[in-house]
This record gives sequence, structure tokens and C-alpha cells, in this order.
Amino acid sequence: MPAIDPKALISDIQTAATNVIGTDVSALGGFSQQQLTAIAQQSIFVAGGIADGSITDDTRDFFLDSLKEMVRSFANTLAGLVAVTVEQVWNAIVGVIWGAINKATGLALAIP
Amino acid sequence: MGTLARSLGAVLSAALLMLATACTTQLAPAYDQAISDGLIAANKDVQTLFATIGPGVGKETYPARADAYNNVIGELNALEIQAKARPIPDSIGLTEANKILSANGISQLTNDPKFTNYPSARSIDDASLTIATMRAADQKAGLHGDEIKAFQNQTSIFLMQAITYENFLKRGEK
Repeated sequence: MPAIDPKALISDIQTAATNVIGTDVSALGGFSQQQLTAIAQQSIFVAGGIADGSITDDTRDFFLDSLKEMVRSFANTLAGLVAVTVEQVWNAIVGVIWGAINKATGLALAIP
Repeated sequence: MGTLARSLGAVLSAALLMLATACTTQLAPAYDQAISDGLIAANKDVQTLFATIGPGVGKETYPARADAYNNVIGELNALEIQAKARPIPDSIGLTEANKILSANGISQLTNDPKFTNYPSARSIDDASLTIATMRAADQKAGLHGDEIKAFQNQTSIFLMQAITYENFLKRGEK
């Protein structure tokens, strides 16, 4: 049976993790940029609406409160996306380790 | 973006730490095609509503839009329930992600009373509230000026959050 090569295993783990993170960084970066731009634009629309009188006392506080909520909701979404990324990295690494054990022992252990 | 990069750099460390349990895990809800399809349909209906409003409308024409408002709000509320109905086997996932973000300078989550393991459900609820508020404003005085742009942009921001998260749940199928 081939013994586990620690250097090769570390390299395989890094590759598995990088494949996941590399994909997700691109997606998270694009989402964040889009959101921050849109939220900045929203502050301009709200200020414009107050200035032109279309946003009255009836909705002014709603829009101002919503600016805070959309930042928090954005952060909550970002945390959710990170959780998915962590899950994928974790599972990818477990798969590599179990594969190495199976190869070294000749067993066919299922990934837990 | 530097903060985001640092946060993502911490992802690998977090995953390695959690390897102590040495088993595969699920930290977020399963992908649901019906929810993604529902969000696409709701987004189309929302954008159609704004297209019918155009640069401005008077309150006297509100009855012609009432059904469209009710349809969109009903769609969104149903999607919120669907989004919340999925189990998360390991509910610590988002809490851990929250710690990673907080430790890397994104402190918005701290003391957020609405923080949830179902971020898309939160965003859908916010979009629904926005349309409901818009409906009330339209019914009372019509819609004019930058208020329309603010309603549309706000709704789109929340819907984009929900759509992005739900698509992300496809995981390796992205």
C-alpha cells in the first residue's frame, strides 16, 4: 500500500480549497460591488425625492429606515454566502483526506 | 473590498478548524429550484409594475394597478414562507460566518436583531414591505418624481440579495 505523502496531501488540500474559494471570491466580489453601488444610488434617490417633494412625511422615515435595513440585509446575505463557501471548502478538504486514506489503506471508506 | 478579501481569506482557516469533526456538513439550506423560479417570476412582475407607472401616476388611476400590487405582494409573501421552510442540519454555520465577518471588520451584523439563518427570506420580506408601502402611497397620492426611483431601486436591491443567495445555494453547480 502506498503511504500517505504529507506534502502531496497538503498540496491536494490547497488545490481543493483554492478551487472553491477562487470561484466564490469572484461571485462575492461582484455581488458586493453591485450592492454597494446600488445602496449609494439609493441615498441619492431618497435625497432627491425629499428635495423635489415627492417623498413626503408619509414615506420619508420609511426610506431612511430602509437605508439602514438594506445595509444590514446586505451584510446578512454576505454572511450567508460565506457560510456556503465555508461548507464547500470544508467538504472539499474532507473528500481529499478520505481519498488519501482510502488510497493508502486499500479500503473504500465512505466520506462521513 | 479589502475587508471582503480578508474575510474570504479567513474562510480556509475556519474550514480547517471545523475539520476537527472530520465529516461532511451542510451549513446552509438546500437549493430549491422552485424558489429561484419564483423569484425570477416575482422580479418580472415587479419590473412590469414599475414600467406601467413610468415617470408618474395620479391616485385616480390607482384602481387599475391594485391587482398588480396585490399579486406581487402575494408572490413575495409565499416565497418568504418557502424560503424559511427548509431545514438547516447544522445551524451553527451562519453564526460562524458571522464571527468571521465581524473579526475582519464587517461589524454590521453585531446587534442586528433581524439577523437570520435565512437571509433570502429576510430580503424577500423587505421587498414585500417596500411594495406594500408603495401601494399605500400610490393609493393616497399617486407616485411622482424621485420617489418612484427610490421605490424601484430599493425593491431591486432586496430582490438582488435574495436572487444571489438562492443561486449561490446551487454550490458546485454555479
